[in-house]
Amino acid sequence: MTQKLPENVCQEHTFEKLFLSHSKTIFNYIYYKCGNEEKANDIVQESFVKLWENCAKVTVDKARAFLYKVSNNLFLNDVKAQKVALKYADDHSETSTNISPEFVLREKEFQQKLENAIANLTEAQRTAFLLNRIDGKKYKEIAEILNISVKAVEKRIHGALVSLREQIEGI
Amino acid sequence: MQEHYLAKWLSGELTPEELQEFKKSEAYATYVKIAEASSKFKAPDFDSKKALEQLKASRLQKPKQSKVISLARYKTALQIAAAVIVLFAGYWFFTTKNTVVNTELAQQTEISLPDNSVVKLNAQSKLVYNKPNWDKKRTVNLNGEAFFKVAKGKKFDVATDYGVVSVLGTEFNVKSRANYFEVSCYEGLVQVTYNNKTLKLPAGKSFLVVDNTQMQRDIPAYSAPSWLTNESTFKSIPLTYVLNELERQYNITVVRNNINTQRLFTGSFTNKNLSLALQSICNPLHLTYEIADNKVMLYEAR
Repeated sequence: MTQKLPENVCQEHTFEKLFLSHSKTIFNYIYYKCGNEEKANDIVQESFVKLWENCAKVTVDKARAFLYKVSNNLFLNDVKAQKVALKYADDHSETSTNISPEFVLREKEFQQKLENAIANLTEAQRTAFLLNRIDGKKYKEIAEILNISVKAVEKRIHGALVSLREQIEGI
Repeated sequence: MQEHYLAKWLSGELTPEELQEFKKSEAYATYVKIAEASSKFKAPDFDSKKALEQLKASRLQKPKQSKVISLARYKTALQIAAAVIVLFAGYWFFTTKNTVVNTELAQQTEISLPDNSVVKLNAQSKLVYNKPNWDKKRTVNLNGEAFFKVAKGKKFDVATDYGVVSVLGTEFNVKSRANYFEVSCYEGLVQVTYNNKTLKLPAGKSFLVVDNTQMQRDIPAYSAPSWLTNESTFKSIPLTYVLNELERQYNITVVRNNINTQRLFTGSFTNKNLSLALQSICNPLHLTYEIADNKVMLYEAR
């Protein structure tokens, strides 16, 4: 009569592991979409609550897809889009030796231009591009998160690069 | 150059030839700078450990998990238990549940038994039988008076406080009251067991026990007891039992003022009209009566 249940997410340590490995990606993804930190935080919490409520029905290997799908559904476009503000990673190695202040200044300028250009990308281009550049996600993973094909991801990345160069060079 | 070559370049998927060609283009340097600078960006801080604590504290308080597990675990057991309870309840209900028919004072009723036998129940009587078991055992318990028209078939028993009446298929009347037991057979053959003695009663005969005195008598040439036509008929019966029947039929109390209730009464009274009934009883016995509310006083006539 008894049958071995497939491992589900109801075990607390399983749930925690899923949270620690996926919450940051979901947060970033939503943030790239709308630039709203608060909203991104809310959606992380909401989607994991949903996962918890459905923990008996969702197996561990389905959990990731479940989370992406739920967070996508939870994201309503009524959120007022804000400028996506990005921080610069501290890079000590570059500031260490024989780099002229002029170079640093030019670098800073370029980064500022790039940030503005990124904020002006379409939502679709920006999320795909930043998931790759900042989060280091492979196109296949991005496709999974956005629920689109790898080819569509490539198209968005390509489009993003073209658009960014055009903006920076003032074409 | 292939489609979306910039994306392919970014992921290092260009062929060496394509890469060579791309490097020659004037846009190449800018793309390199974009790729390098963009990977140094950071999204806003997000502390997943803190977020988890927050989630646990605010949203996951309800122990949904244990609920879900326990339900799944005991589901089968609960289902079996529920089924067993239903089966037992059904079994108990259908096998031990007796059908009870009661009549109040001044009330009569007619009952059809499962085999289409008909029972007519006189006032203040109680009939109990078991419907589910009827095919196995045709038995009714009777307290009071009833006329039976029994369908042909197996033995049919009427159990009373005084004895058992058994028949195979016939029409008969059983009257079982306080200190009064009378069985009258109108058709066929009736077997009466009284005080461990058995006797057979053919049509037109009645068996009567009043105050522990037994007798067998002929019954008048009626095809059915007179109470079915709203008359109560007696033949040499002590007055007290006649008055008891009067009380039952009219839902009244009869006050017996110094009258001899052991006198025998022969005759009948209607069950429809109290004054007429009282005259039928009082005139032959030289009694007078008074009616007050639900009471009737009887006196010896001067």
